[in-house]
Amino acid sequence: MEQTDKKIPLDWDALEVGETFEKFEYVLTQEMIDGYREGVMDPEASFPTISHKVDVRQYNAKYTDDGSVNARCAFHCYNPPVAGKKLTVTAWIADKYLRRGKNYIVTEAVSVDEDGRLIDRVITHELKQPSEVGKKWGG
Amino acid sequence: MGEQLRNIQIDDDITPLVKEMSQESINLFEGSAGQTGPSQFTDEHAARETLGTEGTVASGRMSLTFAIEMLRKYFGSDVFNHTGVVDLRFLRPVRPGDTITFSGKVSEMSREANGSKVTVDIQAQNQKGDTTGVGKGSAIVPNAFLPAED
Repeated sequence: MEQTDKKIPLDWDALEVGETFEKFEYVLTQEMIDGYREGVMDPEASFPTISHKVDVRQYNAKYTDDGSVNARCAFHCYNPPVAGKKLTVTAWIADKYLRRGKNYIVTEAVSVDEDGRLIDRVITHELKQPSEVGKKWGG
Repeated sequence: MGEQLRNIQIDDDITPLVKEMSQESINLFEGSAGQTGPSQFTDEHAARETLGTEGTVASGRMSLTFAIEMLRKYFGSDVFNHTGVVDLRFLRPVRPGDTITFSGKVSEMSREANGSKVTVDIQAQNQKGDTTGVGKGSAIVPNAFLPAED
């Protein structure tokens, strides 16, 4: 269970671009890969790391906020991950910006496996006022 | 192997990719990363509380995955899985029950040190014709895949 009482309420103004989070490690199992491929209806899907949302995982472990909506996401493919290998993720705050009065945070992460193979890079722009989705697009 | 044996040209259309979204597929996507708690993706109450929507939505990362699949099939795994990039903006929610069609067109080619960068404009539309996402993708292809220069 996450220790929500130890999390820091997000102060968007104070958030520092360049803040780098503690490295996150996990083992990508065949079961994870199979579930991902079934979910995306693609038996050859090569980057199951996408569903792990590793770029925001450490942010979410450190900060509390009102939630977020993914506004934009870029994914760079370097080498498909291999089942059973430990992946190490380095994530950081790449940018933040205001657009139309709304706050955005850009996180970036790079994954490398235990053999030193570069796996992927993901860059995500998150809108930090998720209720805008309901306001704009309704139920 | 994908379609890369033919010459790639500007304005080439990419073979569209159609996905039928279901709550089950969304749950599998979220669960594959160990996300088992309720979220805006898997639980209507959580979606209402967080987003203000009446139902769940699919993670934008599912659309990202589909765009990657479309381009992998176009460029071929050998090329795309090592040099591919997709950058998508999410314009409208994708929901269970939606049918999303991803399409693309080659928009740019430029010489790089290790081949040529081929850029594709990407669009995703739902069954109503609403655009749910737009963006660009690219891959570095061997120069032999391109038409000979004059």
